[in-house]
Amino acid sequence: MEQFLDLYGFINVVLQVVELTARTALLGGIAFWLLVAMPLAPLMPPGDAAAARGLGRRLVLWGAAAGCLATLATGGLGLAALAATLDAPFGVLLGADFVFAAGLAMLAQFLLLLLALPGARPSPGRQAALAVAALGLLGAVTAGSHALAREEERALLLAATASHQAGAALWIGGLPALLGALRRLTPASARAVGRRYSVLAAGGVGLILLGILGFWRGYIGEVEAVYGTAYGAMSGTKAVMLVLLLALGGANFLFLHHLQTAPEGLLRVRRFVESEMLIGLAMLAVAASLTSVPPAADLTEDRVTWGEIVERFTPAWPRLTSPSHADLAIPALQAQLDTEWQQRQAAQRPQAFTPGEGLLPPRNAQDIAWSEYNHHWAGIMVLLVGLAALLDASGRVPLARHWPLLFLGLAGFILLRSDPEAWPLGEIGLLESLRDPEVVQHKIAALLVVGFAIAEWWVRLGRVTGGLRFVFPAAMVAGGVLLLAHTHAISNQKEALLVELSHLPLAVMAVVAGCARFTELRGPERLARVARWVWPGALVLIGVLLLLYREA
Amino acid sequence: MSRTRLACLLVTFAAPLLLLRPTPAAAHAVVIGSSPAAAAVLPALPGTVTIRFNSRIDHARSRLLLVPPEGEPLALALAPPGEHTVLEAAIPPSLPAPAGGWRLRWQVLAIDGHITRGDIPFRLGTP
Repeated sequence: MEQFLDLYGFINVVLQVVELTARTALLGGIAFWLLVAMPLAPLMPPGDAAAARGLGRRLVLWGAAAGCLATLATGGLGLAALAATLDAPFGVLLGADFVFAAGLAMLAQFLLLLLALPGARPSPGRQAALAVAALGLLGAVTAGSHALAREEERALLLAATASHQAGAALWIGGLPALLGALRRLTPASARAVGRRYSVLAAGGVGLILLGILGFWRGYIGEVEAVYGTAYGAMSGTKAVMLVLLLALGGANFLFLHHLQTAPEGLLRVRRFVESEMLIGLAMLAVAASLTSVPPAADLTEDRVTWGEIVERFTPAWPRLTSPSHADLAIPALQAQLDTEWQQRQAAQRPQAFTPGEGLLPPRNAQDIAWSEYNHHWAGIMVLLVGLAALLDASGRVPLARHWPLLFLGLAGFILLRSDPEAWPLGEIGLLESLRDPEVVQHKIAALLVVGFAIAEWWVRLGRVTGGLRFVFPAAMVAGGVLLLAHTHAISNQKEALLVELSHLPLAVMAVVAGCARFTELRGPERLARVARWVWPGALVLIGVLLLLYREA
Repeated sequence: MSRTRLACLLVTFAAPLLLLRPTPAAAHAVVIGSSPAAAAVLPALPGTVTIRFNSRIDHARSRLLLVPPEGEPLALALAPPGEHTVLEAAIPPSLPAPAGGWRLRWQVLAIDGHITRGDIPFRLGTP
């Protein structure tokens, strides 16, 4: 049971990502079906009309099925955690408000699934039922949100939550169906669908912005809360990605409404839509993380100050030698950390935890030195990879196309340095060290990096042409999404938040780099020419940030 | 923490799923005030204890324990819900009250379904 509680917080966030993604796709699919495909059907050839309707319907089916499962899993997880920590009859647990809200959401999603099952063109009655069930789902998830738990400005926050979620669905949720339409329909029909969808997306943007205004008033309130709390930092990251999405959406709007003569216009729109989907997924990951942190407005003490951020991010020379006890800086740093720890203990602020979580142990100067050393060497390797990839992009240095082999250095670094107490550098033997799951993870990671480097090298040499080409960008996007989905500061633990502040830009750049590499691989050529400079540039920035990383 | 962070960075470039690991997550309900306050020094046990949260609480699915300096924690009977954000309980007057460090151990279910727990430490003794 303790192991379950240890995992509860993490599993909860992962399930929230799945649930939010499925629900956004479901609501977006209904909007696409009812507000794009159906009204445009009389204006398109019969084949295109049926295909567009089918795309909307299938997105609804998949979204509803995934949403039902995710809601069931999330509700079940909450009940299991409650049962594990509270000595109460199961019947009492079932009466919790979140169970009721989850039940309503399940009901609405199941109804939507049933309504989408028939393949025939939906009658007006069925369309109305779909719309009502979609609004019911929106109401149910709003009722299960944090807004309902607020004492102040509850109505405003409920409206902001509903507006924000509806906006995300209208803009991001229907993108898979739009992408399908751009691929399958005749160019004229695809352009018509794209134009109508872009109007819908513009409405979605408006709703999202309205939601942000409400959240700012109710959950954040002041600029200091943006950089001083985990909630604010994550919201700021969402805002950065929103700007990226707006740039992509704006470009699509131009391509669809004003640049009709561009011969490869629709292909560009497709690439931008794909990038919008990936960045949208990253945004949903942040949104899911936000559901598990207290609003910034509630954490008025122990915030990170601007001065502390400036101090932490002021560049210092990287730590490139192994920390040792002979290093005089280590005792000095430890003395400083001890003083901070004592001050923190003396403050005795009330702490809050999710089940399975506890106080972070006191910081150790030796650990910090090792961590900085690891980050800085990893930074050098990523920087080298980025620079070599830039050289490769120039096309003037043939040798640079072998840049993936630099990842072998990273693999060697993980193998040697991740667990200095274990084989091959430490005293603990290989087999004995593999009893520690963390060591196993590091060793597997090293092996995967080797495989990954060789696969990408083959791509560069032209030996691979299939899906293996997408391993590198997929890994970058997945890694970025994971970083966004799981980085939290507990209450206002300053150190955790300062570390998080350095990792959030890395995650966003990883997602951007992955999108650019996808685009380079898939064309069209004019976009690929730009994209092949973007992702190495992002890697260079990631390398520089890692080199500047500090924990004290 | 440092290795976890580094692992996440390496994940960015290599092995997204294998390095998935449990990490702490905060929760919605946090304490914004309590009686006794955290780190308070009291001459005797108070008659009632109160904790105020930032969000509405499901009282029927929350609990409050009083942890003495030594011995087993005592589950306190929660007072009927008054304010939505407040957890209140009476301390039995007959409870022995040795000097030393005490803790008010709480667990609440917020209306939005998030479970949060924590301790409020206080001391009995001469202020």
